[in-house]
Amino acid sequence: MTIKQGAVASRITRLGRRGCDLIESLGRAGVFLAQSAVGVPSAEGIRLWIRQLHFVGVLSLAIVLVSGLFIGMVLALQGYTILIDFGAEDALGQMVALSLLRELAPVVAALLFAGRAGSALTAEIGLMKATEQLTSMEMIGVDPLRRVVAPRFWAGVVALPILTVGFSVVGIWGGYLVGVEWLGVFEGSYWSNMQASVGFINDIGNGMIKSVVFAVVVTWIAVFQGYDLMPTSEGISRATTRTVVYSSLAVLGLDFILTAVMFGGL
Amino acid sequence: MKRSRAMEFGVGLFILVGVLGMVFLGLRVSGLSFSGPSNTFQLDAHFSNIGGLKPRARVSMSGVTVGHVESIELDTEWYDARVTLSLDSELEGQISRDATASILTSGLLGEQYVGLSMGGDPDMLEPGDTIRDTQSALVLEELIQQFISNMASN
Amino acid sequence: MSTVPFIEVENLYFSRGDSEIFRGVNMTIPRGKVTAIMGPSGTGKTTLLKLIGGQLTPDKGRVLIDGDDVHRLSRKALFALRKRMGMLFQSGALFSDLDVYENVAFPLRVHTDLPDAMIRDLVLLKLQAVGLRGARHLTPAELSGGMARRVALARAVALDPELILYDEPFVGQDPISMGVLVQLIKRLNQALNLTSVVVSHDIKETLTIADYLYFISEGHVVAHGTPADLDANQDARVKQFIHGEPDGPVPFHYPASAFYPDMLGDTVIQGDAK
Repeated sequence: MTIKQGAVASRITRLGRRGCDLIESLGRAGVFLAQSAVGVPSAEGIRLWIRQLHFVGVLSLAIVLVSGLFIGMVLALQGYTILIDFGAEDALGQMVALSLLRELAPVVAALLFAGRAGSALTAEIGLMKATEQLTSMEMIGVDPLRRVVAPRFWAGVVALPILTVGFSVVGIWGGYLVGVEWLGVFEGSYWSNMQASVGFINDIGNGMIKSVVFAVVVTWIAVFQGYDLMPTSEGISRATTRTVVYSSLAVLGLDFILTAVMFGGL
Repeated sequence: MKRSRAMEFGVGLFILVGVLGMVFLGLRVSGLSFSGPSNTFQLDAHFSNIGGLKPRARVSMSGVTVGHVESIELDTEWYDARVTLSLDSELEGQISRDATASILTSGLLGEQYVGLSMGGDPDMLEPGDTIRDTQSALVLEELIQQFISNMASN
Repeated sequence: MSTVPFIEVENLYFSRGDSEIFRGVNMTIPRGKVTAIMGPSGTGKTTLLKLIGGQLTPDKGRVLIDGDDVHRLSRKALFALRKRMGMLFQSGALFSDLDVYENVAFPLRVHTDLPDAMIRDLVLLKLQAVGLRGARHLTPAELSGGMARRVALARAVALDPELILYDEPFVGQDPISMGVLVQLIKRLNQALNLTSVVVSHDIKETLTIADYLYFISEGHVVAHGTPADLDANQDARVKQFIHGEPDGPVPFHYPASAFYPDMLGDTVIQGDAK
């Protein structure tokens, strides 16, 4: 009996300790975000930022655009087979555009970004930590949060919304290719139905807000995991995995919350 | 140095892609026009039942879109729905005082929209005026009820 | 040794997790000399350097550098103090996204407003001193371990610091680059009138360059003195370390139960299974 009580007590203790650890690491991540995101950018900082924008943005463009094209094409194909049953294939443009702008572009672009750029950011910062570059920077009297983390953070925050716009545009074009050029939906109704139903603020604007939120969260997770990892090769590989897993979960969870607030009348 | 210039060019191009994409989305996808919001005027219409009408729904005249529903709220004086319509300014001072606003449905299951039809009154509505003659949305349950009570009374 | 000490470590306590690493360490490091801190691996020598550099905060005690309590300084003052220190890391810790030239120029660019031409002169001067002026366009990935450490040394002295901290400078070096590094540390110390702190467990090399030694074991300073003093030291721990004996106060065996019962017990269990 006492043994059982002891086991239960120790389990509760462990649970409590894990809870405390979680809150503590959340706090550490919050302080980290505040310290690295705030600060006046210098000319040097802007140069570093451009470099990182190249790294996380330009180099992710290809994968994001290709995925966008295919998703737009699949949407048109699937939408057509459903809409044709109701004789409503004219609404194809509306369906493709709304699903892309409201949901698919922000979410899928963020997931791809986490896999392509987020994991690379974690690995890069982690490697700098493992090879003592961050410590030596600190010893030279330069704050690595400012010099290493901040440009990467801001590059991610700017890059993802741009990638999302690219994703939407290419996806809508892919839907046009399949729907109009291949399946024979009337071109005028593809665009006009789209224009009639898509609101600039309501759909495009909200989609962009989602994208900015995802950008902050994914980049934050990526740079923090890189900065906070155990400086060993095992630590780096674990942190890279954690970046992808955590940011995917965060993106999907936040997407539900944001959708509920924006479109669900909450 | 050369490599960094190529990189900066790439980044510039990347940002340009973002801006152009945004312009494309704005103009081509959402049909935003730069002459947009300033060139409209507003009219109110009271309906006893708006059915499934939503803000931003289409307002049409003879099937041509001439504006959209700006807002819908409950009028607490009469307990009916006050619908504010935003109409193209071309129509300002052109809609007669006895024009009719009715809530219609496009197709059998389609969206609901507001249809305007002109009357014959020489007096015209000014911005902010209220359209008197309105026709509420058809609600299927009410129709059936009416049909049944008609049958019963016959 | 009559000069004012440059660094004073007073009654330092530090623990990481449950393990106590330092339990009351006292040291005085004289100005303009090479002081070595020695001890078996795992005694926290690198941790001590990090405490001196202000990257870690002790549980108790304090570190004074030139009269300033390192851990009481504001962040800004600490960064200002670090401009007067250079540190050579075990791995070199060169910035992998910059080439050799930019690595050495990095502290100059960050902390001074010198024109490019003057930075160039200074960088080439420092690279010449470590013999790698010709390697200025290489990236850190293209350097051998010894070369990387020499570039890191050039970077550490770029701002003409008053103090250099060397973290295991000789580990993993072939005899030639070891000799080069010994030479360089000695020469730089004399030429620039630096105060050097060398953390190492390479006895031979360290004894040749150090003016004064501290020997740390189990969280305490167990012995200190000049190389000659330490060589003659009768403390068992010091003797074992200096002469590289495999068994002694630092046991060869990881703590275990008695050998024979352990072996026999194992056989008995296997016999039972049969």
